[in-house]
Amino acid sequence: MNFITKTLQYRNKEAVWQKKYNALAPKEGDEAPDFELFDASGKQRVRLSEFRGQKPVALVFGSFT
Amino acid sequence: MSLRELYQNYSEQVQFLPIYIREAHPVDGWWMGGGILGKLTKKYSPATAFDVYDPQTIEERRLVAGQCEASLQYDIRTYVDNMDDSVSKAYAAKPTRLYLIGLDGLVKYAAGIGPYGFKPARLKQAIDVYLQHISKPIIDNTGPM
Repeated sequence: MNFITKTLQYRNKEAVWQKKYNALAPKEGDEAPDFELFDASGKQRVRLSEFRGQKPVALVFGSFT
Repeated sequence: MSLRELYQNYSEQVQFLPIYIREAHPVDGWWMGGGILGKLTKKYSPATAFDVYDPQTIEERRLVAGQCEASLQYDIRTYVDNMDDSVSKAYAAKPTRLYLIGLDGLVKYAAGIGPYGFKPARLKQAIDVYLQHISKPIIDNTGPM
């Protein structure tokens, strides 16, 4: 399968994912879904709701590639 | 404005939470490390990795997240999404996305879908507007004259 065909297939797959989940994602004015995660060491925990009333939170989602 | 500048300028007023999610372009997936596209990406986004396989366990994911954190040198702790991608799905975060959450727990800014919607300058604007809003004193017009 050549590069262009693969790229289009992956791109379409991601577009479907984005469309599906973006419809459910919070919009401005919506309550931000709470979550609890651990850091890269697995030891430090964070819960979004713990910042309520303390500091506004900027979420920065991404990966290495 | 870069993310680094945002962190440096606003880290006292805003809590930044970088969240590592599923790899966008792993070697065993939609890999973009080869050819002209790879060369261009390496030139304009030198921090991007090209030799990462999609982590299959939370331990692998944390390892890559740590490597990413060390590479970017933002000096901000990175958190790692669960293997079921629950947080990424809740925020439709793939491949990259920005949000600002207010003191009341409500979304004040939701960037467009990434990668094209990922604009740190727009996040900065939202932060500026929000910080100005919360710094205004509340004038109480109720009560006896």
